[in-house]
Formats: sequence, structure tokens, C-alpha cells
Amino acid sequence: MKKPPHHYHLCPLCGFEFERTETHCADGCPMGRFCNLIRCPNCQYEFPAEPRLLGWVRRLFCREPSRATQREMVGLHELEVGEQGELVCLSCEQHSRRNALAVYGLVPGSRLLLQQKRPTFVIRVGETELAIETGIAREIFVKRIPREEAAFQ
Amino acid sequence: MKGNQDTATLNVGRAATTAQEAAIVLVGNPNVGKSVLFSKLTGKFVIISNYPGTTVEIARGETRLDGEAVAVIDTPGVNELSSRTGDAQVTCDVLRDHPSAKIVQVADAKNLRRALLLTLQLAELGRPQMLVLNMMDELDRCGGRIDIRKLSELLGVPVVPTVATAGTGIHLLQKNVAVACNASDFVARAVAPSSGAAADYDRNVERLRRVNEVMGQCYTLDRPRHPTFAQKIGWWATDPLRGTLLLALALYFMFWFVGLVGAGTFVNFFEEVVFHRHVSPWAIHAVDAVLPFPHQHAMEPSEYKLEIPLTPTRGIALMTSTREVLSSKYNLAPGVTLSWWQEALRFLHDFLVGEYGAITMAFSYGFAIVLPIVATFFLVFSLLEDSGYLPRLAVMVNRLFRGMGLNGKAVLPMVLGLGCDTMATMTTRILETRKERVITTLLLALAVPCSAQLGVLMAMMARISYPAAAFWVLLMVGVAFAVGWLAARVHRGQTSDFIMELPPMRLPQFGNIAVKTLARLEWYLTEVIPLFILGTAILFFLDRLDLLSKITRVCEPLVKGWLGLPPETANAFLIGFLRRDYGAVCLLDAATGSNPTLSAHQVLVAMVTITLFMPCIATMFMIARELGKRTALWVTLFIFPFAFLVGGIVHRLEHILGF
Repeated sequence: MKKPPHHYHLCPLCGFEFERTETHCADGCPMGRFCNLIRCPNCQYEFPAEPRLLGWVRRLFCREPSRATQREMVGLHELEVGEQGELVCLSCEQHSRRNALAVYGLVPGSRLLLQQKRPTFVIRVGETELAIETGIAREIFVKRIPREEAAFQ
Repeated sequence: MKGNQDTATLNVGRAATTAQEAAIVLVGNPNVGKSVLFSKLTGKFVIISNYPGTTVEIARGETRLDGEAVAVIDTPGVNELSSRTGDAQVTCDVLRDHPSAKIVQVADAKNLRRALLLTLQLAELGRPQMLVLNMMDELDRCGGRIDIRKLSELLGVPVVPTVATAGTGIHLLQKNVAVACNASDFVARAVAPSSGAAADYDRNVERLRRVNEVMGQCYTLDRPRHPTFAQKIGWWATDPLRGTLLLALALYFMFWFVGLVGAGTFVNFFEEVVFHRHVSPWAIHAVDAVLPFPHQHAMEPSEYKLEIPLTPTRGIALMTSTREVLSSKYNLAPGVTLSWWQEALRFLHDFLVGEYGAITMAFSYGFAIVLPIVATFFLVFSLLEDSGYLPRLAVMVNRLFRGMGLNGKAVLPMVLGLGCDTMATMTTRILETRKERVITTLLLALAVPCSAQLGVLMAMMARISYPAAAFWVLLMVGVAFAVGWLAARVHRGQTSDFIMELPPMRLPQFGNIAVKTLARLEWYLTEVIPLFILGTAILFFLDRLDLLSKITRVCEPLVKGWLGLPPETANAFLIGFLRRDYGAVCLLDAATGSNPTLSAHQVLVAMVTITLFMPCIATMFMIARELGKRTALWVTLFIFPFAFLVGGIVHRLEHILGF
């Protein structure tokens, strides 16, 4: 849930995230460099850039909506401590690493609980507590299990 | 050591002829209690701890089934049987070498899923097997239920519940070994072989699907709402803040118990009261009676203070006593010339109770100084081992160790090295790649002082200031990191991933700790005392042949010129080649003995140099055995010049440091 740095823009219409350099306006627009509008490369909607000061104030008072929750699949490192997840896939490039996790029961479909993130990730699979490095945690993709549902498990 | 292995195979060969048909191989995931079960079955002692990877070598013993002797083989824990991963190699070899043996799979009942994954792999071998569900008490506590009859039906093999530590179910296990049989088709049906690098993984996914089917029919879990206290401590131990506090607490307790009580109170008592006042005078009298020649032993004062230590400088004094005791120094009767016969007697006399005497020097050092320190250390270490804290320590230091080309797991041999570097060198087998093993071994040999040396160094530390002591600690840690960092860059190997199972925290059992401490002490003493006697004998003969002074003169440029130490300390470094703690004790004598010859700065230089020495000759042999002679040679060639280099640099820094 990293906040996008200020040179990233979020289209207010379709939610597409893009860099300023990706915007293309029509050639020969009379506004030239005085134009303060940004065009979303996805839906072509044009909107004014947010003044910096306003951006600071907004970030100060409003919480960035955590869009990641709506996503189906998140990296293990994006899970909150104490949250449960169902493993969707392992993106490890080395097969030995994938198998090293599989022997602990970490295969698609198995459930895990994130116990801590620092200094090293600790997860719980069944009754096994497993410490894994952050680098490997990023390669584990899970589906969040809502807390209400997890309580019944 | 090689010879040892050979005799082991010979013994088994003999056992195999009588009980070939009935051999049992204990197989299972790491840390499920195979070794406990093994010692319950055979009555043989093996080291048992609460962390994965305690057993690195196979152990063999015998048990009686229906009055018949049956060979039992304990194997290191494995998570899968694929021989592609190195750690399963030993177990696979054992299974291959004993084609008619029955497989007894030991499982942690709490972790049934992982156990069954292994059951399926074993079943594919198509051999008689059975399943032991160990730690049933812990399963109960965490709210799990296993329908054992149903599980046995599904697998088609006998399933026996046990609590190995309490000895429950052992008889049932012995009875059921006879009916061990091949697994049912459902589990034994080989998983479709797929090719390519992903094969192992794909097969395990398929196996786990079947395991889940089995689990669904016989396993229920009703987890209690509140975590137990032990669980909470386990969580605290890996928390950045509370974990650091817990570590500091553990370290302080260890320092207090080993450094102050062990190396202070106990050593004082054994050295001053037992040896100086009783054993040595008694030995002198006895030797004088047997080997008479005209001489008179001098008397010297012996001061003893019994106190309960609180900090290194303060304690609660309970009693003090002073007494005149017989000294090993003696004067010949004036005006007497000794005959050749008397000279010979004198020679033997000096060998036993002289300045470099076997009894007055080697025994008093080995038993009075080393034994109390080593005993207290092993006691604390066994406590730590059995509690399950050590793997959690690995979690805390993983990031730090990454810089040295290691991962957190390397902390296990490192901590063990504080007890005995030779044993720790063998434990490096739990590390997965050769690079990790080489670097850990190097750091163990270089910068991890063993308990015997640590105790002597702590005594030397009393002669230097607090900043100097802190400097010594920081320098050792700094050297370890710098050398580790460099070695990680020089060595072209790979570092393995850090994936580590954290065993549950448990209350250590008194019996196991006592037995384990005693076994380690025995191992230590049988190795140490002969080396001490050898070292003393070498010193004695060098002294007699007048070589000691010549060696002193030869080493003068190095010892006096480079290190700035008195030339007489050369014999300390000379003996340090044999055992660095012995070298340290010679330096301790020069630093705090009856007429100290070292200044505070010289003590620091000597401490730094001797700490960085190779631990002992046994460690060198162990490195050669574990990593090959070439590596052992390189490690040795690096360590000794490096130790002198660092010592010399510290000496040159005298004016900058100011201590």
C-alpha cells in the first residue's frame, strides 16, 4: 500500500495509474506548455493536476483508500499481521525453492496465518510455525480470507 | 574419525547377519522425536534437543522384539525423500543399504499433513512400513483429534499413538512392528512421473491433494481460544523489541551463570581449595615418598574467598580463609650433589609434580579450571536447546548474517561453538550449501571462543579496564563480520534460502538436561585431558632440553618486536597451537600469576591474538574430515598469520586507544 510518488497520477474516472510522461495530448494544441490538464492514457479523460499544496493537505487529513483490499490476489508481504490467507500461487523462479515450501504443506489451496513481518516473516501453516525471508514472502501470492470467515476455520 | 565409522559399519555388519530380516529404520520429519524414540527402544543415549537438525549422523542400536534382538537405526530428519536435496541423502542411503529393513515412520501428531506427505513418498518404495504418531499429548493440548483406526484403514499400515518422552505407547509400537506391511494402493499408487525441473514440486502437489483427502476423513481440529504461555513466549522471542530484550536477558543470565558463578565461584573453589590445598600437596607427598631425593618443598600462602557474585566486581562475601600450603617449587638440600640415580628420580618427580608437571599443571588446569566452566556452560546450553529458543534466535539474526553470505540458521553452530568448536564444526552439516559450511567453519575456528577459553579470557579481562574489555568484544565481532563479509565475496558458492521451522517452546525436562550435560562433559574431558597432558609433556621436555629458551629467542622478533610482549610468552603461543585455551591459561599465568609480567595493554594484545588462534588440534582434524584436507590447510594457513597480524595492529594502536 505504498503511496504513489507525486509524479504518478491516478485517473479519477477509471482509477488507472500512470506517469506524466505517458500522457499524450493532440498535436498542435494551442494551450502548449501552459496547459495544466492531464489526460488519462486509458480512458482519455482530461483532468487538472492537483496542486502540490492541496496534495499535502489531502494526504495529511484523508487516508489513502487501500485499494489493495479489493484486489483478489496479494503478495504475502501485503497481508497484515494476524490476517489469514489462502495460497494462490508461488512465483518462485527456482523450482527447488518452490518445492522447499511445498514440503511444509505450502501449496495452492492451503491456508496460512501471518504471525509477524519483522525482522523476518513468520507464518503458520497448520501447526507448523515457519520463518521465511522477506524475499521469499514476496513470491508467495495469497487470497485474503476475511476475519469473520477465518474465525470459523 | 574415519576409523570410527569403519568400526560402526563392522558392528552393524555383525548385527545384520543375526538380525538382517528384522532391522528397523526410524524415518520422519525433523524434530518429531525420532531420537527420543530411538533411545527408549534401545536404551542407548543419543543427544536430543528441541530444534530441527540435532541428529546429523545415523545412530545404531538394538532392541528386543519377542525376545529377539533387532537392529534399530536412527536417521536425520527429512521433509521429503527426493535425493536431489542434500539433506535427504543420508536417509536415502540408509534405506537403500538396508533393503529388507522395516520402515517405522515417526510423525509429529500435530503436523499430520506434513507427516502424511512423507508417508506417501515412503509408500512408493513399496516396503513394509508403519506410522508412529508421536507427541499425542501436544496434539491434545492444541485441540486436535485423530481417528487412529480410520487412519490405519486408509493407509493400510499399523498406526500407533505414542508420547515418547513419557514412554507411553512404546510397547504397543514394539508389538506392531511385526505386522508392519505395505501401504494400501490408494497411498502407494505412484504419482504420475513428470519430467523437468518442476517434477518434485508437481508430484508433491499431487501427493498433498491425496493427503488432504485422508486428513478430511480422520482429522478434526478445535483450537483453544487463548494461546498458551509457552506460545506467547515463542512469539515474543521473534518480535524485534521484546525478542531483543529476551536475548539480552538470556545473554546476561548466561554471563552470570557461566562467567561469574562457573568461572568465578566454582573455579575458585576447585582451584584453590580442592587442588591447591589438597590434591597438589597430597600428590607432592606421595611422589616424594615414592621417588626420594634430597630436597625441600617451599610453602606458599593460599587465599580463598567464597562469594556469591552479582557483577564482575561486586559480590556477597560469605567467608575467607588463608592457609600455608606446600608449593611445587623446591630447593635441593645445600651442598649435596645428586647421583645419576637421584637425577633420574628427580626427572620423574618433575614430570609429575614440577613446574610443568602432569598433576600440578595439566590436571589442575583440566579439572579445576576447565571442568567447572564447561559444565556450567553445557548446563545452560542444554536448557536453551531444549526450550526451543535457538531457532527463534536464527529469525532475529537472519538479516545480519546475510551480509556474511550466511543465513540465520548458521547461528545454531555458532552458539554451539561457544561450548565446543569441534562439536560445532560437525553441526555445520545442518547448513545447506558448501559455501555456508565453509564460512561458518572459518568463523568458528577464528572468532568464536569455546567455553574453556572463554572462561580463561574472562579471568584475564579482570586485568584490563572496562573500555578495553568492550574493545575486545567489539573487535572480535568486527573481525568476524569483516572476515565473513570478505569470505562471502571470495567464495563462489551459493547461499541457501532462509526457510526454517520454529519448534514449539517447551519446558525443558530435568532428566534429559542432566544426561545431556554429563554426556557432553564426558566427550569433552576424554578429548581435553589427554591433550593437556600431551601439551604439558611437550613443554616439560622442551624445558628440560633447554629448547624452550632457544624457541623463545627465535620467536623474539615476532613476540617482542611485532606484538610487544615479553619473549617468555612465546611458550604460551607455542602451546596455543595445540589448544588455544591452554595457551590462554599460560598467558593468564603471566598476567595474573604470582609475579605478573604483563601490563594492561599487553594483556589486551595477548588476549586478542590468542582468541583468534585455531581452537585446538581436534578442531583442525574435524575440519579436515568435514570439508576436506585442502580446506583445513587453507583455514589453518589463514588463521595463524591473521591472528598475529591483528594482535600486532592492536599493539600499534596503543597510543591512539590509550589502553
